[in-house]
Amino acid sequence: MIDWLVRPLSYGFMQRGLAASLMVGILCAVVGCYVVLRSMAFLGDALAHAVLPGVALAYLLGGNLLVGALIAALVVALGIGFLSRRGAVKEDTAIGILFAAALSLGVVLISTIRTYAVDLTHILFGNVLGVSSTDLWLIGGLGAVVLATIALLYKEFLVVSFDPVLGATLRLPVAFLRTTLLILLALTIVVSLQTVGVGLVAAMLVTPGATAYLLTRRLFPMMLLAAGVGIVSSVVGLYLSFYLDVASGAAVVLTATAIFLLAFLLAPRRGWVWAGVRRLRAGR
Amino acid sequence: MRQWWKQVLPVVGVVLWLASACGGAGTTLSSPSLRILAAEGFLADIVQNVAGDRAPVDTLVPLGADPHTFEPTPQDVARIAESTVLVVNGAGLEAWIEKTLENAGGQRTVIEAAAGLPSREPGEGEETSGEHHDEVDPHFWLDPNHAIHYVERIRDGLIQADPAGREVYARNAAAYIAELQELDRWIVEQVARVPPARRLLVTNHESFGYFADRYGFRLVGAIVPSVSTGAAPSAQELAALVDRVRAAGAPAVFLEAGASPQLAEQLARETGVRVVTGLYTHSPSGPAGPAPSYIEMIRYNTLAIVEALQ
Amino acid sequence: MSNSLLEPARLDLDGVSVAYNGAPVLRDVTLQVPHGAQVAVVGPNGAGKSTLFKALVGLLPIQRGRVLIHGRPLRSHQDCVAYVPQREEVDWHFPVSVADVVMMGRYGRLGWVRRPGAADRAVVARCLEQLGIADLAGRPIGELSGGQQQRVFLARALAQEPHILLMDEPFTGVDAATQGAVLQLLEQLEPMGVTVLVSTHDLNLAAARFKQVLLLNRSVVAYGPPQHVLTPAHITVAFGGQALFLGSEAVIVDQCCPPDLPGGQP
Repeated sequence: MIDWLVRPLSYGFMQRGLAASLMVGILCAVVGCYVVLRSMAFLGDALAHAVLPGVALAYLLGGNLLVGALIAALVVALGIGFLSRRGAVKEDTAIGILFAAALSLGVVLISTIRTYAVDLTHILFGNVLGVSSTDLWLIGGLGAVVLATIALLYKEFLVVSFDPVLGATLRLPVAFLRTTLLILLALTIVVSLQTVGVGLVAAMLVTPGATAYLLTRRLFPMMLLAAGVGIVSSVVGLYLSFYLDVASGAAVVLTATAIFLLAFLLAPRRGWVWAGVRRLRAGR
Repeated sequence: MRQWWKQVLPVVGVVLWLASACGGAGTTLSSPSLRILAAEGFLADIVQNVAGDRAPVDTLVPLGADPHTFEPTPQDVARIAESTVLVVNGAGLEAWIEKTLENAGGQRTVIEAAAGLPSREPGEGEETSGEHHDEVDPHFWLDPNHAIHYVERIRDGLIQADPAGREVYARNAAAYIAELQELDRWIVEQVARVPPARRLLVTNHESFGYFADRYGFRLVGAIVPSVSTGAAPSAQELAALVDRVRAAGAPAVFLEAGASPQLAEQLARETGVRVVTGLYTHSPSGPAGPAPSYIEMIRYNTLAIVEALQ
Repeated sequence: MSNSLLEPARLDLDGVSVAYNGAPVLRDVTLQVPHGAQVAVVGPNGAGKSTLFKALVGLLPIQRGRVLIHGRPLRSHQDCVAYVPQREEVDWHFPVSVADVVMMGRYGRLGWVRRPGAADRAVVARCLEQLGIADLAGRPIGELSGGQQQRVFLARALAQEPHILLMDEPFTGVDAATQGAVLQLLEQLEPMGVTVLVSTHDLNLAAARFKQVLLLNRSVVAYGPPQHVLTPAHITVAFGGQALFLGSEAVIVDQCCPPDLPGGQP
């Protein structure tokens, strides 16, 4: 049994991949709580795809791909904020427009790159097996910055998420806080590209938070629980991918989804099974 | 108001005439109806050696691009449509070719250079994942002896398309085949410098099969365990490769030009192998580079391999 | 109950005009509310009662005129003014408990990085007591009834320890227990010197329980003690066609509230 646990860890690339997945799992889960509560799932997915032109440009210019991704994510995040602030365009629409535009721009740029495009495939689906020590420092560093910001601004984010009117009454800089949250989201997405890639990061943002929401009724426990789900799905997913010989990023996401389904069915009070039992009892 | 038509039409006419004149300028063909297009750069070089002065040969897949995952643009399809002879490697290297040919329509001579060559089976001690067994390994050209077969097929195809050039093609082909035979002898000499125990190849994808078979190398494994570059290894596959590399004591991993070194560097960290980049397997280098022709590609790769493994 | 008020809270409005979506809603409102006064703000629908409150809190921009609190302009007072809207536009599914919501009232005093401490928790507990919802402290906000929710937001406003408290229609559409709690709260606030403005549709209540009444219809119709404000002349000006006089009795048909909701009966 112990051997079974230890064997994958005898490879350096698995150790690093596990460390990266853990950090990304925690980070996505915590930031993802805001995504779930503020209905930003579509926005999260859009930002993830919006990094493509940034990555393509960075590739063409010979720059760092993650920096290009970050710049693109920030530009799109701020663009959505700008377009929808005036009220002329609903946020949903603004997201849809910029999402499609960024994605198309990315595809056009990529089609001009006629050489090997393996790096870009990794951006799309993650390359958790290719995490280097430098990558770990980057993930850890940026992740720490994001989590520290959330801790420092916890009260303020709580107010603007729950009751924007109170936020205005207390003279909180609502627009600044909203923009900061978008920036944190963009950072989280860029950090997660390494392990799960553009296609799957939205799932890692939403699923642990959604699971925790079913199981608790206050925000801080929800974040802790979500982080727990993130950790468990990362570890279990990675091990499963090793022993079942399947893609690692997707295995992590599927594990998180399985945990969510369990919670959906069995959560005390809110779970589907309990609700059914209550209905039966009430019917008698 | 109707007067302006009379002024515009002549201008339009002149512009069209100039355009058509420019379209044909600069190419003095001895046989103007022969437009030869080769899929890959190395193929184009081989074909040019056979065609000689009778016709220039264009390349479809740009320098440095990966023919496995190449996506033809509308312009590429147009070039195929305008060609009268199309030379492809075949054996599944150009997975995109059939659809594209359908789109292009028209008639042309299509020469499949690798047709008739027996596909290799993984040798002893070589492990491949079960699923990849059905795929034919199309990388025949990395063994110059197979390239001789290519030359013959190209020669025959060109003769069929342009019977008037029969003697030129036959002569050129014979000369080139002689060069390839010389290349083969040279490679054998070079490989002899490597102790047999160290004739171990680890590559980024499975392209050196035929080369290994011919010159006595053992394929320890590939980072992307497939004859196509599109796949990515699973954790288990990478772990298995690490184990095999350690067990075999392979000294180096060889990456093709343009391949991402990330996973190779992981491998190097685990096993201590040297990472050698820049082998020219699917495309020659540019004219200023170290491997602008097919023969120079093979020479360059051979020297790189031999020097790393010595 | 600790009295943290050291300065008299005087509220001055001077020629205040407010527009909403480009249309003028309040015109030239001038009045002084003395320290500790409790004012009922009455008027028909669309008179600008909510608009007045929102402008006082800074939710709506003031086109012309100025507002002075303690003699100083609006912006310089952080959490001096607490506002309880009629319908909270909050996310009811948000995972917060009653205590969490009331604690938010303390955030203005805490500032950016500090965490709530024991003193803040004591204030929250006290405010919950005052509104009679101490037993609901741990419950998620979404599970409460409408009246209970309203009391939570009242408790939050109290927790701000404001100098000026604005309540928008606290008696409308809530259960008897909540109405009772609000009235009790008003009684408790009176000796504390908190200036309170309460908007309501219930003219009887306004006349009975408030020493000052502000009758609004886009501008100030009358302001002062109820017997001077709620005269037939003023009521006609304010309510126009909605006011019906039967002999010497005035009957007002107010289209706001459906007849089966209690408008102030205990």
